[in-house]
Amino acid sequence: MSFRIPKQAREWLNRDKKINFTFEGETFTGFEGDTISSALWAAEQKVLGRSFKYHRPRGVLSLANHDINVMLTDGTDTNMRGDIVELKEGMSLNAVNTIGGVKKDKNSYIDSISPLLPVGFYYKAFHTPRRLFPFWENIIRKAAGLGVVNFNYPRILKRKQHAHCDLLVIGAGPTGLTAAYEAAQAGLEVTIIDENRHAGGSLGYNRAGDKASVEYLDDLLNKVVRHPKITLRTDAYAAGYYPDHLIPVVEAGGITKFRAKAVIVASGAFEQPPVFRYNDLPGVMLGSAAQRLIYRYSVKPFNNGIVVTANDYGYRVAIDLLDAGTKVVAVVDLRSGSNGGLHAAELYRRGIKIYPGHCVYEALATSDKSSVRGAVICAYDDKENIALAANKFTLECDGIAMSAGWAPAAALLYQAGTGMQFDYGVQQFVPNRLPEGVFAAGKVNGIYDLDQRMRDGIRAASDALRHLGHSVAPYAIEKHNGPSPSHAYPMVPHAKGKNFVDFDEDIQIKDFENAAKEGFDNIELMKRFTTVGMGPSQGKHSNMNAIRILAKIRSLPVEKIGTTTSRPFFHPTPIGHLGGRGFHPHRLTAIHDWHQAHGAVFTDIGAWKRAAYYPAANHSKEDAIQAEAMAVRKSAGIIDASSFGKIEIYGPDAAEFLERFFTGSYISQKVGSCRYVLLLDESGVVVDDGIASRLATDLFYLSIGTSNAAAVYREMQRSQQEWQLNIALVNVTGAYGAMNIAGPSAREILASLTDLDLSYESFPISHIQEAVVAGVEARVIRVAFVSDMAYELHVPMAQSQHVWNALIEAGKKHGLRPFGSDTQRLLRLEMGHHMPGIDTDGLTNPFEIGAEWAIKMDKPYFIGQRSLSILAKRPLRKQLVPFVLASNFNADMPMECNLVIDGNEIAGRVTSISYSKFIDRCIGFAFVTPAKKAVGSEFQIRTDSGSLVTATVVETPFFKNQIKSQKGA
Amino acid sequence: MKLLTCPVNGTRPLSEFIFGGEYRQAPEQNSCTDAEWAAYVHNRHGAPGDKKEWWYHSPSGTWFIAERNTLTDKVSSTYLLSQKNLNEEKAAQEAGK
Amino acid sequence: MQALNESLNAKKDSKTALKTTPVAHAYIKTTAKWAIVNEMEIAVEFASNDIEQTRKKVLGITDVSCFERYGIKGPQASKWLADHELAIPSNPNSWALSNQKDLVLRLGSSEFLIEDQLDDVASKKLADITRVEGLYPVVRADAAFILSGSEVLNLFSELCSLDLRDSSLLANDVVMTQVAGISAIVMRQNLNGEQVYRLWCDGTYGSYMWEMLLEVAVELGGGAVGLSSYKN
Repeated sequence: MSFRIPKQAREWLNRDKKINFTFEGETFTGFEGDTISSALWAAEQKVLGRSFKYHRPRGVLSLANHDINVMLTDGTDTNMRGDIVELKEGMSLNAVNTIGGVKKDKNSYIDSISPLLPVGFYYKAFHTPRRLFPFWENIIRKAAGLGVVNFNYPRILKRKQHAHCDLLVIGAGPTGLTAAYEAAQAGLEVTIIDENRHAGGSLGYNRAGDKASVEYLDDLLNKVVRHPKITLRTDAYAAGYYPDHLIPVVEAGGITKFRAKAVIVASGAFEQPPVFRYNDLPGVMLGSAAQRLIYRYSVKPFNNGIVVTANDYGYRVAIDLLDAGTKVVAVVDLRSGSNGGLHAAELYRRGIKIYPGHCVYEALATSDKSSVRGAVICAYDDKENIALAANKFTLECDGIAMSAGWAPAAALLYQAGTGMQFDYGVQQFVPNRLPEGVFAAGKVNGIYDLDQRMRDGIRAASDALRHLGHSVAPYAIEKHNGPSPSHAYPMVPHAKGKNFVDFDEDIQIKDFENAAKEGFDNIELMKRFTTVGMGPSQGKHSNMNAIRILAKIRSLPVEKIGTTTSRPFFHPTPIGHLGGRGFHPHRLTAIHDWHQAHGAVFTDIGAWKRAAYYPAANHSKEDAIQAEAMAVRKSAGIIDASSFGKIEIYGPDAAEFLERFFTGSYISQKVGSCRYVLLLDESGVVVDDGIASRLATDLFYLSIGTSNAAAVYREMQRSQQEWQLNIALVNVTGAYGAMNIAGPSAREILASLTDLDLSYESFPISHIQEAVVAGVEARVIRVAFVSDMAYELHVPMAQSQHVWNALIEAGKKHGLRPFGSDTQRLLRLEMGHHMPGIDTDGLTNPFEIGAEWAIKMDKPYFIGQRSLSILAKRPLRKQLVPFVLASNFNADMPMECNLVIDGNEIAGRVTSISYSKFIDRCIGFAFVTPAKKAVGSEFQIRTDSGSLVTATVVETPFFKNQIKSQKGA
Repeated sequence: MKLLTCPVNGTRPLSEFIFGGEYRQAPEQNSCTDAEWAAYVHNRHGAPGDKKEWWYHSPSGTWFIAERNTLTDKVSSTYLLSQKNLNEEKAAQEAGK
Repeated sequence: MQALNESLNAKKDSKTALKTTPVAHAYIKTTAKWAIVNEMEIAVEFASNDIEQTRKKVLGITDVSCFERYGIKGPQASKWLADHELAIPSNPNSWALSNQKDLVLRLGSSEFLIEDQLDDVASKKLADITRVEGLYPVVRADAAFILSGSEVLNLFSELCSLDLRDSSLLANDVVMTQVAGISAIVMRQNLNGEQVYRLWCDGTYGSYMWEMLLEVAVELGGGAVGLSSYKN
């Protein structure tokens, strides 16, 4: 037995290629081009899935990704949507969320106890007592759920691309195709996308037996596909709308982010199910689903069908069913006063029984509940929306096609900020106020007649053209005329319920009534309480009915109920698509490979990879750091400081610029000397510090810490925009490599590579010299940051490896060793230098860190000056002090950010702390109350474990200056 | 993603820009009171409406001013601060004539 | 102008002070043939000529960081270019070619990047700038690339959000934008009769940029192309 019928015009199948697959262990054959659902339905397999909550058997509902009745797994992918996923050779498929298979799901007992599980049941029943909730949650989550996550899912790269076009048309139905063609004819570059595998939209299947629609489509597609200005992409859905016409389009291979100059949304409408008892049985499907089965896949929906309709569309469906070889038992029309239009006459002629003013009171299931065996029909009061069941009768059938109306596929319009209003002529929300450059056409715009839709496409194209500055005449379009394509309230109440509104979530009419009774009678609250529209199809087939039901309950017009918020993504989109390639930009110094070859452990500082320390075999991090620090104190060490921020300030006003930007004095600074710079913000808070070296009267060379460099440079640029001084700022951070060679042997090592006089007398601390080192032009700075016997070399980045190698070679016999940024932090601490960002926070002013000496209050202006003048009048609240722990301290080691405790009060915190092997003490900085700042004061630090450790305030540096000559220091 | 127009480099996605806060004129620091200065430093007017904002085009290092309505998120104009000063000077001169 | 040491060049020993391309770290995984071009060690060959020619046609990525380049900025920069008979690109963010071999990029309004094309050392003479007020040198240490082939826009579509098609990126446009998440300069030019795209970024991002470009290029059927294939 098979539901497959002879080849239909424009069917999507390749009949030359058979596809073998298994479903629930059974072997099936379909054709290439089939979806999983169409192939199974062709084989008369109707139970294709189980519902989320009650485990009810389910079959085809929309065949269009507007419901998730058919969710499958092939062992790798989970929650595959059978209605749209194309069949592949060798697929081995199972329905998700069953125990023991889709036909005999052991969890189907839940359906029979469903009266015990009213909406909100889980919330109420299991949340108290709280301690038991995890137990219940475990059970509930296993029973109610979808597919099982595959933790071995292969990582397959999905590209994320950018694309551009003049006009993006969403939806390649008759409206969209016409709009795209019109716009392209006028010269626009148009991209048109459609989520279906083939373009054409309803023109492909809504035929009512008319062969002309196929020719129409052929003609339209021919024009579009051949047009050089049109790109058509099918199997591609517009996932959302983001500002300024950015539309991510999702395809199997990845996401393309389209930036369009204008957008036409011609996305059509979702058919909405009428609501009656057992409207979810396999074999009960939407009219458009029946048409899709017939014309896309050449599958007969059923043998003996009933059409239940509440609009004229159902009559078209009935004709299509007849043409497919289905015997139409009857057409049941909820409307009493309607004649069903043209097609009703044809049905009469073909001897089909029509019951106006009637409804399907309930569908009857076969004994194994795998299909429909009949329908109970009775009169329907179309005003009061009640079934008049007194004279009900039963018609036998094996399927029911339903047509009750439509809901606009307006998600993108909502996201773009479109104002929608309810149009009673079509019983639908339609765009009322569209954002600039966004246009709607066709069913989503409340236009249903085919001819009129195509003209609406032309109208939208002309609107888009005018928006883009083309002079084309406005094109007017009349509103929908004739019977409403949607019924105002296609619900059939039933005392026993099971009349489903939301098939994803098993929500019935009474669930809404109960929710309203509990006070959840606002659409957003009702959504969350009942979970309507919260399933994977996001209300595509249920939200409109939910709004109608709520409006009825509250006796309000539909437009007063409003709609829920429509969020991206339009269809669920795999995480791998969202992730894409992933960019992790990082900066490397030119010496990076050397560090790697010498076993460096790297740390991320901003975008930079810096060598943190170089552990020898079996050395701990702490050992490595102490050994590197000891080398600097006893012989020599060298660090790659290329990540330091380096900025050149050129021009006659260079010194003036620094005077305004930093706290100190620079006009008086001598060429060849270096000065400390301290940057504050306008409120007087410490931002960063560094060294300004004067290389010429009109050139300063600024070096600042790694992490803040980009931000400081940016602020300098901003200040220059405001001040308009005669200067030029050049960020040479990446252009110069830097290295600092430090320690008692540093001078001798460096001397072997340069002619420069390095004596401490002629080249004292805080001075800069330009010299050739190892054959390379270098800026040599005596900075006492990690040692008072240190030279910082700045050389062109591309030659820094060369200079580094030369120094390493020259330093071999002196025990020179590299040290990393972690060691540098210890070394500067030993030297007693605090660091902004480590020893200061977002509230620290310079008085609190004892930096008064760096501030020249009597100059006309610097950033933060006015605030300091206010702060200076106030008593200090905290003070940064250097401290030591007891000698031979051997207890619980305090950490950075541990609190300083005074009695029961918090008196401050530790900002830096480390053991120094060289000094053989634990040393650090801490904020304390000013009362404790005097040298010799003691304070208590509370460690992580709660113990109190006594610290003593000392003076910096923590050890004696190593250079004997006072002059050179 | 929003687009923003840098007066030098043209229209670019917002990801190329860094927001620099509201553009505000500091009071004359030598004559204002402490309270006026503190208000300038610490207080921001959060009500939505037309604002002048600093924006930085990162790839080119261009600071400019964007006039943006923070309620509608519409940017009405962007310009270099120096351009605006020139424009204002011109306007003032012409008004003075 | 008072400067510290005006006789630096005399002591410079160029033989030992080799430069290294900023992309060097990314080459570790390749078996490239190296050479010294303009005093810089750089990969000049990644595969056989046939393979490289094929890659070039599909999507070739070439490191040309070794091209000599020099930057200037300041109000006198245009005048200085004129004095040195170099072309001045007329608009901000455009480029011009001088004497068929010196590429002059105008970055914004008053900053310029001058780059020698293949086999030229003209910008060396630029380096001896005597500093004058309003003219300031900008030391460049860019990683520089040539991207060629039929799939190059396909590559950019993933790494850059801008429309770089001919209709949008005009022949003499220079764009400062983001590529693979970092600031970069992009333009297109004709090199030996082929249209190629040029890309510059901060040298410290050079290895990262190379890795990203190459990863995409290989996926699209292209790959690394050595500098040699541009020297014929």
